Formats: sequence, structure tokens, C-alpha cells
Amino acid sequence: MEVNDVLNSIDIAISGMRAQSKNMEIVTSNVANARTTDDGHGMPYRRLEAVLKAETDGIGGVTVDEIVKDMRDFQKIFDPGSPQADKDGYVSMPNVNLPIEIMNLNIATRTYQANAAILKRYQQMMETTLELLR
Amino acid sequence: MVNFDANINAAIPNNNKVMPQTEKTIAEKGDFTKIVKAVGDFISEVDNLQSSSDMSIKDLLAGKHTDITSVVSAVAKADMSFKLLVGVRNKLIEAYKQTMNMPI
Repeated sequence: MEVNDVLNSIDIAISGMRAQSKNMEIVTSNVANARTTDDGHGMPYRRLEAVLKAETDGIGGVTVDEIVKDMRDFQKIFDPGSPQADKDGYVSMPNVNLPIEIMNLNIATRTYQANAAILKRYQQMMETTLELLR
Repeated sequence: MVNFDANINAAIPNNNKVMPQTEKTIAEKGDFTKIVKAVGDFISEVDNLQSSSDMSIKDLLAGKHTDITSVVSAVAKADMSFKLLVGVRNKLIEAYKQTMNMPI
């Protein structure tokens, strides 16, 4: 008896939920470090982004392939009093843009909800099928 | 009248072809003990899913891992397979009862 075929949809939906929660984690990290001027190597924090990849060719779940750094330029803020200011009085700030992060957070939340809704609907479908046995 | 006889003769070989096949399938599929054995295998599979869902809940409560989605997936799988098992069991018992209540 192949139970795994029936349970495949659950795995796919769960993989989507997992990927989106990772996305949310990345957005959290970006927002938390929006003003971090030192990433541990003396450079401002670079915003991160997840690259999603299909698990298999064809029907299958999704995985977070890798988490890459956004290599766009840092923002410059004029703050001559800061100890990190360069000779012209500018401080390099992370390349995090808060409105973009909030948008990404919204996308991640909605996708997560969509996956959860699919999981729920699939369970209902299976129950409908099992009703036929009675 | 002659034509009528010919038609019957033409029809009989077809019937002979069909009948043995159905008898064979009944002999292969209608074995009740085989079905019960298959259900036994299925029970052990369902039991595995149940115990893995139990383990993931215990791990979550013990703080071993905090991935709630994997717990949800394990519980959903266990739930679904258990419902299927109960449905099949009810149907089997119903069939058994009907057989036993058959007037001889």
C-alpha cells in the first residue's frame, strides 16, 4: 500500500511553509540590522536574500538553495560627530531599505498563509474521500 | 428459426471467454484472509507514522528542536493515515458482519 503518494501533498505544502518562514527570518535579520555599522569585519551589514529552488524537476517541494548577500552600495549618512565617520564626515550605513523589507515580509506572510490553506484544504479533501467509505 | 440458432452459437464462445476471467479475479482478489493481512501491514505503517508524530511532539516539548512545521507535518500525516485505517477497518468489520448474518 502506497501511503506516501497520499502524503506527498502534505510534504510539499510543509516545504513551502518552511521556506517562507526562513524568508521571514531573513527579513527579521535585515530589519534588526538596519542600522548596524559593523558586521564583525568592520563593514556595515549587508542585507540578505534567500534564493529558493525546486526540490525536484517536476512535482515537488521547495528548498532554500542559498542565502546571498545584497552587493548594492551602502547608504551614506552625513554625521561628522560619529566615531565611524570618514574624513568628509559621512558614515556608511547598511543597504537595508525598510519599505522593501516590509514588502518582503508581507509576501512571505501571504505565501505562508497560502501554503497553510492548501494543507488544510487537502486534509478536508481527504476527509471527503474517506466519507465515501461509510 | 435457423438464423436464431446461429446467433446463439455465435454468442456462446464470447460468454466462455468472459467467464473464466471473472472467476480468476474473484479467486485472486476476494481472499478475505489476504485482505486482513494487508490491513495488518497497513496498521504497522500507520503505527510508525503515529510514533514518529509522538516523538516529534515530545522533542518539541522537551526543547530538542523548535521546528513546528515538521511537527505539524508529522501530526497531519499520522492523522490522515489513521482516519484511512479506521475507515477501512469499519468497512471490513461491516463486511464480516454481513457475511456472518447471512441466512444459511
